[in-house]
Amino acid sequence: MTAPAPVDQARQEERRAERSGTSLWRTGLQRYAILIVFAVMIAVFGIDLPKTFLSIGNLSNILGSQAPLFILVMAVLLPTVVGDFVDLSLGSSLGLAAMTLAVLNVQHHWPVLLACLAGIGAAVIVGLVNVLFVVFFDNDPFIVTLGTMTIAQGAIYIVSGSNSVGIVSTNLSNWIFTYDFLSIPLVFYYGLAIFLVVWYVLSFTPTGQRALVIGQSREVARLSGVRVNRQRSWAYILGAGIAALAGIAYAGSNGTVDPTAGSALILPAFAAVFLGATAIKPGRINALGALIAVYFLATGTAGLELLGAQTYYQQIFYGAALVAAVTIPKVNRERFFKRRRAA
Amino acid sequence: MPVTDSETPGEPDKRVSLQEPPVPGEQSAAAAAVELHGISKDFGSNRALDQVDLRIGHGEVVGLLGQNGSGKSTLVKILAGVYDPEPGGRLLVGGEEIALPLAPGQASQIGLSFVYQNLALAGGLSVLENLTLGQRIGGGLSSWEPINWIAEHRAGAAVLDRYDVKLDLDRRTGDLAPVDQARLAIVRAAEDLRRYRTRSGYKHSVLVLDEPTVFLPEAEIDRLFDLIRTVVAEGAAVLFVSHDLAAVRAITDRVVVLRDGRVVGEGVTADMPEEQLVDLIVGAPARPGESVPAETTPVEDQQAVALTVAAMESAGDSAAAGENVLVEHLTDERLRDLSFQIGAGEILGVAGLIGSGAEELPYLLFGARPAGFGVLRLGAESIDIGRLSPARSVRERIALVPADRGVLGLSQELTLWENIVMLVEREHYRRGIFRRGELIALAREAIGRFLIRPPRAQNVVSTFSGGNQQKALVAKWLLARPRLLLLHEPTQGVDVGARRDIYRFVKSAAALHHMAVLWVTTEFGELAEVCDRVIVVTQGRHTATLTGDELTEEAISAAALRQTREDNR
Repeated sequence: MTAPAPVDQARQEERRAERSGTSLWRTGLQRYAILIVFAVMIAVFGIDLPKTFLSIGNLSNILGSQAPLFILVMAVLLPTVVGDFVDLSLGSSLGLAAMTLAVLNVQHHWPVLLACLAGIGAAVIVGLVNVLFVVFFDNDPFIVTLGTMTIAQGAIYIVSGSNSVGIVSTNLSNWIFTYDFLSIPLVFYYGLAIFLVVWYVLSFTPTGQRALVIGQSREVARLSGVRVNRQRSWAYILGAGIAALAGIAYAGSNGTVDPTAGSALILPAFAAVFLGATAIKPGRINALGALIAVYFLATGTAGLELLGAQTYYQQIFYGAALVAAVTIPKVNRERFFKRRRAA
Repeated sequence: MPVTDSETPGEPDKRVSLQEPPVPGEQSAAAAAVELHGISKDFGSNRALDQVDLRIGHGEVVGLLGQNGSGKSTLVKILAGVYDPEPGGRLLVGGEEIALPLAPGQASQIGLSFVYQNLALAGGLSVLENLTLGQRIGGGLSSWEPINWIAEHRAGAAVLDRYDVKLDLDRRTGDLAPVDQARLAIVRAAEDLRRYRTRSGYKHSVLVLDEPTVFLPEAEIDRLFDLIRTVVAEGAAVLFVSHDLAAVRAITDRVVVLRDGRVVGEGVTADMPEEQLVDLIVGAPARPGESVPAETTPVEDQQAVALTVAAMESAGDSAAAGENVLVEHLTDERLRDLSFQIGAGEILGVAGLIGSGAEELPYLLFGARPAGFGVLRLGAESIDIGRLSPARSVRERIALVPADRGVLGLSQELTLWENIVMLVEREHYRRGIFRRGELIALAREAIGRFLIRPPRAQNVVSTFSGGNQQKALVAKWLLARPRLLLLHEPTQGVDVGARRDIYRFVKSAAALHHMAVLWVTTEFGELAEVCDRVIVVTQGRHTATLTGDELTEEAISAAALRQTREDNR
């Protein structure tokens, strides 16, 4: 075919050069925008409520009470990084693990450790089913996980008789929520440990780098010799496993397990992951961004709560944050979501 | 119609006088369905079409022949209203002058209908839905008029009957055999033309088929030709655009040959010997050894490859000594028992027209697409190609530079450095620590040596130009120190400077790494320039080998075209 006119090409080069020369200032602003907003938010709440908001008690409350959500965010992160954007079933996996633990421990008097393992097992089974239908049979992850989410939720209602189950062994709640270190409940440190592992693997190992390539462009990864499906499978299974840990953390923090626990947490978890993708490494799903985002959301809701807002205002805050999270990168980097479809 | 002498291509005026003068405004039998006069098209300083005349009579099948870049597609796009021709050209449809340039979509209003290679069928819809799609969208039907599916079904069946095409109207179009999809597309286009004739009362209408046989198996082409004859019998003229000599000879009444944007010959198909057509398409009578290949100075670009050679020596690679590569009995849907050898340090070119199966080779040898059967011998190792996977290939250090670098080669949203070091990351992960600094330094060095501009390791790949992306892709794979390098259209959409650079990188890599290189492209001039030896693949078979003095663009093209003909005999 005939080559494009040289003039056009020159112009294109010029435009490219312009684009690649986006000022450092702008990328920097984008990268830390959420931290800036975070700081402003703390300042506003702090000025409004100096006694209650800026207290150790509140800090402990925010860090501790949101730890199950924080762990769930790490679970959501894994399938999202490898490009399977929505594992909806993770919320139900959390709920299923927590409910299995509670039912076995409370109603069948299993030792708590064994009950925990059973809970993890139940969640991993959900993960394996996802792998079978998404990776092996090559279905759309949205549709499959919508199905497994509903099924797992149904299973929760069956085993619980659609009632809250409690109270789980005090041993568990002590080691999760009651004991503290620097007046912050231990569960926060468990979450931090999980975060560190996820962060290390994703950012500092070739495995994490390969996961990123898979997420960005599956075919490039495949033709670079990456075992794409194997890695996607692990993302689903480990994601489910971490969701189960979040479920255990939830059971330990609350003492009783509500059948709707998981479905209430999954939306905020997605909000945090996508909001996190606008920070630190804009345009990329990243663990550190998700860490900041989840506590950004937690701080916001805690502040609203202290101001006396009803819980449904918190829902509006989460929803607004989610919409903002998917819109902000579109404004700055139009291609952020295009690649999602291209994969 | 006399054949213009191929040695004097620059005299279009003579030919015009031989044709019937057009009679404007009259629906006389003498008026051709479509006539083009003096059509030119420039792209910048590049003249893609130069004073082209073309005449398609009623009920005539005219073949438009030419190589890649001869101007065939440009001409078709002018007819379709995609390109504006240069002022001065004239278009007569059924004897009536139509103002040029055509507006997009105007073509269908003047009785032109197109079927492109990709057929433009919606694979997920049923045959019936595809058949009626055109009327729904452009046929002037109201968006809110209720669809009577029972009546549609009956009408659709009648249409298929008229063209003697047997298809299940409720089948998913994507499930049809390729030839049936092509037939469906042609029926749809022909039906649009028939409706046009009914509506307007004109007799003329032209169906333009752009490379319709490229992806079809030999045996099924006849079924397509039967359909084309039916369409002609229904009253349409056909312009059959192709580089496939066999197909053109089988179906057309008359041929027009384009070369370098000019009509270099035309005549009644039956009167044109095959040799003459090949000569017309290729240019100067392509007898091997006549023209001297471009001076092939051995370029050993230490600059770029020193990096990888050093890495190779420090790793104590056995491949550094060089290994022969042997491919035996490679067979899949298109390739038939293909065997060849690539020596250590040799660049082997593979020439084949689109659809010949040559373009499958790099992907099969890499395991990116499942092959039927074949053995790949890398030095002392012997690998079953049928079981090869990309993961295995990377371990065996086979490298693939795919044609579609945007989708297959580079991860567009990752940074340049991440892409370049993608394959060697593992070597820089020691004792639980990812040596990111080392990797970035390595990438920076590669960016410098492979002349990637701008040299910004942290920029995302999509901000780089095609040529620089391609250099990055070559760098990425050379850093992995391949034993066998597979390249598919490595300079597609790449500017001249980058093209030279890529030639140099690959040549010096082959020379200094002693690696075997397989270079597959339809740009035969490129093969003549870079390759040590070229094999020709036609209809999935290895049909010729060219070496030494035979390595000229003309000779390679002629070999590729000729073999097609012989195979179809």
